[in-house]
Amino acid sequence: MLDRNSIGTIALAVALLATMGVAQAFDDSKYPDWKGQWRRADPGPPRYDPSEPLNAQQAPLTDEYKTVHAASIADQKAGGQGNDPTYTCAPPGMPRIMSIYDPMEIIITPSITHIMIQHIHDSRRIFTDGRDWPKGFEPTFAGYSIGKWIDTDGDGRYDVLEVETRDLKGPRAYDGTGLPLHEDNQTVIKERLYTDKADPNIIINEITTIDNALTRPWTAIKKYRRVATKEEAVWPESVCAEGNVHIEIAGQNYFLGADGLLMPARKNQSPPDLRHFK
Amino acid sequence: MRFRTSIAMATLATALFVSVAPLQAFDDAKYPDLSGQWTAVRLGVRGQPAFDPTKPWGLGQEAPLTPEYQKVLEASLEDQKNGGQGNWRPGDACLPPGMPAMMTLYQAMEMIVLPETTYIRIDHTHESFRRIYTDGRDWPKAEIEPTFVGYSIGKWIDEDGDGKYDVLEVETRHLKGPRPLDPAGMPTHVDNKSIVKERFYQQKDAPSRLFNEITLIDNAFTRPWTVLKTYARNPAKHPEWLENVCASENVLVKIGKETYFRGADGNLMPTRKGQPEPDLRHFQQTAKE
Repeated sequence: MLDRNSIGTIALAVALLATMGVAQAFDDSKYPDWKGQWRRADPGPPRYDPSEPLNAQQAPLTDEYKTVHAASIADQKAGGQGNDPTYTCAPPGMPRIMSIYDPMEIIITPSITHIMIQHIHDSRRIFTDGRDWPKGFEPTFAGYSIGKWIDTDGDGRYDVLEVETRDLKGPRAYDGTGLPLHEDNQTVIKERLYTDKADPNIIINEITTIDNALTRPWTAIKKYRRVATKEEAVWPESVCAEGNVHIEIAGQNYFLGADGLLMPARKNQSPPDLRHFK
Repeated sequence: MRFRTSIAMATLATALFVSVAPLQAFDDAKYPDLSGQWTAVRLGVRGQPAFDPTKPWGLGQEAPLTPEYQKVLEASLEDQKNGGQGNWRPGDACLPPGMPAMMTLYQAMEMIVLPETTYIRIDHTHESFRRIYTDGRDWPKAEIEPTFVGYSIGKWIDEDGDGKYDVLEVETRHLKGPRPLDPAGMPTHVDNKSIVKERFYQQKDAPSRLFNEITLIDNAFTRPWTVLKTYARNPAKHPEWLENVCASENVLVKIGKETYFRGADGNLMPTRKGQPEPDLRHFQQTAKE
């Protein structure tokens, strides 16, 4: 038979357990500390594989899509925009989003990890609530991402976020040269995000793209560095449409001049067809 | 013997305390459940969604505009009658509506509540997200680059003293423009000195209904203008988040001072009768060279 003290202590323990039950709603200590502002750690211009130069990415493109890429580069040399759809402020989409052109914030909640990047239209939701792929949803440039947190070293804390992204729309390119993804938009992207064991201010993203414009899955390792600042991080607002001088008319790119009027974007470019004004 | 049991129980209680400590990192039970997808509740008022949801848009808003800005609104409406866009720049320029117009929720909203920051995501025209800092910070002393969403500081309040926060009070400053309040082109002052105050709270007996009491203090108005927005939570377990990409899908094109349509064939079309053709003088100069 328990005495009064014991009963009182048990009551206290039960009360504490009850409190814990509520507090367990979101135990953020189980997740990696990815707070703060992250920027691209790899030097040079944004590109899919940071280990290779922008103009020599060694993408395992099919012959058909090698020709598409060559045409894009040739068009850009002639003053065009090639396959890079972002000049009209179209979103870069996945996987290009993860080259992070502007600072990134990662917001972790138990059911969703939000990737917030204020570039053109680059933010993502990664659902980690155990859901299955949806049926009948509209494809998007960012795609539909399902993630899973993994405790690889068994220390009771998640250390890897595995993500798969599908249901993409296009056009999308890997980079500013117009390195293309297949126009069927059947791309599947797999990511493994984790903190660098040697440096908690580095996140590594092992990213693999499976796409019909490729002869095999293409994997790259990206690194993001946490911005160290004693002050509060500054989050610039990037509004692509504001001050964008590119304008597309009937598939042709034109400039808007300082006076707001149309200008040719390339030598000897014809003015737009004004047949609807006749 | 009795003592030993008590010690064991006390040890258990202490151990539980220790376990609780790391969990206290974020006790989300203290905050209201604002998760999910929120959409604006239309209150049976006809026309485009306006700043005051209880009144029709345009002149029907009976906004306390100064005489100068009343004329700006009338000019916007007149331009729209003639096929123009008036002051509503999200229309032809894909500029973000900014604060406070974005809180009309032209597209669905998500609120993410964390102790230091409450985030608001709304994918309309521009992928706008707000950071409402609730970490007790003061207004920054360093110069801040103004933005369409502004700089927001918030405070959680436990109004009924039940140990749970029930109201989020927010103040937003450091705004840039142009920021019309609605598609009629209801203007805010060009000085962009607006201050926006908000109070978010849920309906006590129906938490799937969220209210936002917004007060706009702006030099285009003769007095602070307060409105009450109502949002409803989408009951779907996994609501769809649509991507709203204005810039690349916009059929409107602004060239000089004129706005044109992009027709089904991609070519330019007039937006109103008798509209002049785009000025192609720069192509003529190129030709001369």
